[in-house]
Amino acid sequence: MISVEQLTKTYGHRTALDAVSFEVPKGEIFGFVGPNGAGKTTTLRILAALLEPTAGRAFVDGADVSRQPDRVHERLGYMPDFFGVYDQLTAAEYLDFYAACYRQPKTRRKKITDDLLELVGLSDRRDQAVDTLSRGLKQRLCLARALVHDPAVLLLDEPASGLDPRARVEMREILKELQKMGKTIVISSHILPELTELCTMIGIIDQGRMRATGPVQDVIRQLTSGRRLRITVLGQKEEAAAALKPLAMVHAVTTVNGAIEAEYEGDDATAAAILQTLTAAGIKVSAFSQLDGGLEDAFLRATSEDAE
Amino acid sequence: MNRVATALWNPIVAKEYRSRMRTWRSPLAMSIYILLLGGLGWAIFAAQAGSARNSFNSGQAASYGHQLFFYLVIFQMGLIAFVTPALTAGAISGERERQTIDLLFVTRIPPFSIIWGKLIASMSFVVLLLLLSVPIFSLVFLFGGIELDQVLTSFLVTLVAALTLGLIGIAFSAVLPRTLPSTVAAYGVGFILLAGTYVYGLVFPTIIDPTAVATATVAPAPPAITYLSPIESLVAISDGTIGSYGIRYGNSPIYSGGGGCSTVGGVTSCYSAPMVAPGRFSKGFISAQPLGSDSAIASGSFMGWQFWQATVTLELAIGLIALAASAFFLSPVRRLPWQRRAPAAEATP
Repeated sequence: MISVEQLTKTYGHRTALDAVSFEVPKGEIFGFVGPNGAGKTTTLRILAALLEPTAGRAFVDGADVSRQPDRVHERLGYMPDFFGVYDQLTAAEYLDFYAACYRQPKTRRKKITDDLLELVGLSDRRDQAVDTLSRGLKQRLCLARALVHDPAVLLLDEPASGLDPRARVEMREILKELQKMGKTIVISSHILPELTELCTMIGIIDQGRMRATGPVQDVIRQLTSGRRLRITVLGQKEEAAAALKPLAMVHAVTTVNGAIEAEYEGDDATAAAILQTLTAAGIKVSAFSQLDGGLEDAFLRATSEDAE
Repeated sequence: MNRVATALWNPIVAKEYRSRMRTWRSPLAMSIYILLLGGLGWAIFAAQAGSARNSFNSGQAASYGHQLFFYLVIFQMGLIAFVTPALTAGAISGERERQTIDLLFVTRIPPFSIIWGKLIASMSFVVLLLLLSVPIFSLVFLFGGIELDQVLTSFLVTLVAALTLGLIGIAFSAVLPRTLPSTVAAYGVGFILLAGTYVYGLVFPTIIDPTAVATATVAPAPPAITYLSPIESLVAISDGTIGSYGIRYGNSPIYSGGGGCSTVGGVTSCYSAPMVAPGRFSKGFISAQPLGSDSAIASGSFMGWQFWQATVTLELAIGLIALAASAFFLSPVRRLPWQRRAPAAEATP
């Protein structure tokens, strides 16, 4: 549904995007993760045909963003990382205006407006002035705005930024609903736990380069090679480290916040064997746990490579 | 759907009408406009009514009508020139500041329609102001001396000047990112267009060639650039004559020193008097009426045209340039027509 090939964007000497490539099949929710200034918004703006790439190509539902911007706009709903609301218009008028801008016939616009207000839970606010809505409600209205022409693809730039936890949960529910409706969704965010739960695919971008992309679990596995143990011992840290290091299955031993972290290759039986080795060496282990190699860990590893 | 109708009546117009008319600013602007124009009309009317009480004949009435019309027309032009940039200079930059411009770009509305919608919406307000002034202008007909076509032409000149100022305002709001510099620039250019070109005629008048005027049958015209100013046209419309504006004798030391033009049987001829003393020359504006009985332009590229026709033509040309510039600078991805790539065949990603 979305295909990005070697996308490059430079501003003078500064490279904002450096040969970024990724694919998002139909019906997937693609989480686009990266620190601020990594190139997320630039990529999304190019996909929305609002920015011309310096090199490379991008397609939305088969339409080339550089050559067929009109076709791209027909198929794409774009929600930028700001609200963009007009004063003096009610929520219903606001949606009606954009529906008209998308050339929806007048006879259908009322139904579109009513349906979308219901989808985002704003039916009871239809006659409220847009600029008096709360941040969360504005965000929902903006999502509804991106849907007025029933696009196949949704680009959401930081949809959860500045929302309180409740509003975030509501936004997530709406997005799940949209996925059920068969929409392909690209969400850029730096709030990782949310993406792990919501997204089916992920791309990690840093300093304009795509560090990893693919299904969420694959990316996590790819970036966090091996598993990790956190071991707390009673006073014998050096001895414990000395006992762990010679083991073939242990790659690395570090001390983090007074606890030992050991990276190893293997399964639960290997972990049990490591514990056994420690206790056999007379080390008093007070805590022993597997560390979950989540998205956050993968993200930190992917984005810290350059710093090393 | 009819493409012309879609282009003329697009959603932006309806949205702008709604937004504009829901604020207190619009009725306030209309009230102030009416109060100022009506106040001026009333003051002149009262003064003339006072002097007419002493002696009155039909010839005087016509001159009162002329005078009232002249002041109203010029004052109305000034007011409209003041209002129009304020309506348009924030049209696009305001969308940028509100962060709504990208949202419009991703819809199916082309950049030209955005500009057109903004223009229609702001010009409608100018037309509304002009309509509001009609009852005040009807005062003129109490005295007479002004024909209906003079009123209509002066309204046309005012409207076209407003349209040009409006387009210039929109062009600046498309080129400059913020509303404040755009407003300042629009007022600056508006001032140059209205007053600057007029002043140019005073500072750099057309020089009567002293060697040619002795045999010339037509009087010279003011410099062509001065036709841009609607003021000169409005003066010409309300007065019937343009006076000696923008013309002076040459400063040749041989032939300078005086001269004049006279109109006999509709044909104007000019002459220059022999020098009074070698080396002395006069630079003053001629005081005679050199342009004949009507206000047609006497010479140059616009010879034979009425002043207002030249003004309207030149202003519309400037307006078109501003419109094209706005459409070009507004597009998020700017390409000149010859740089546009042909759409590729449906690509399979």
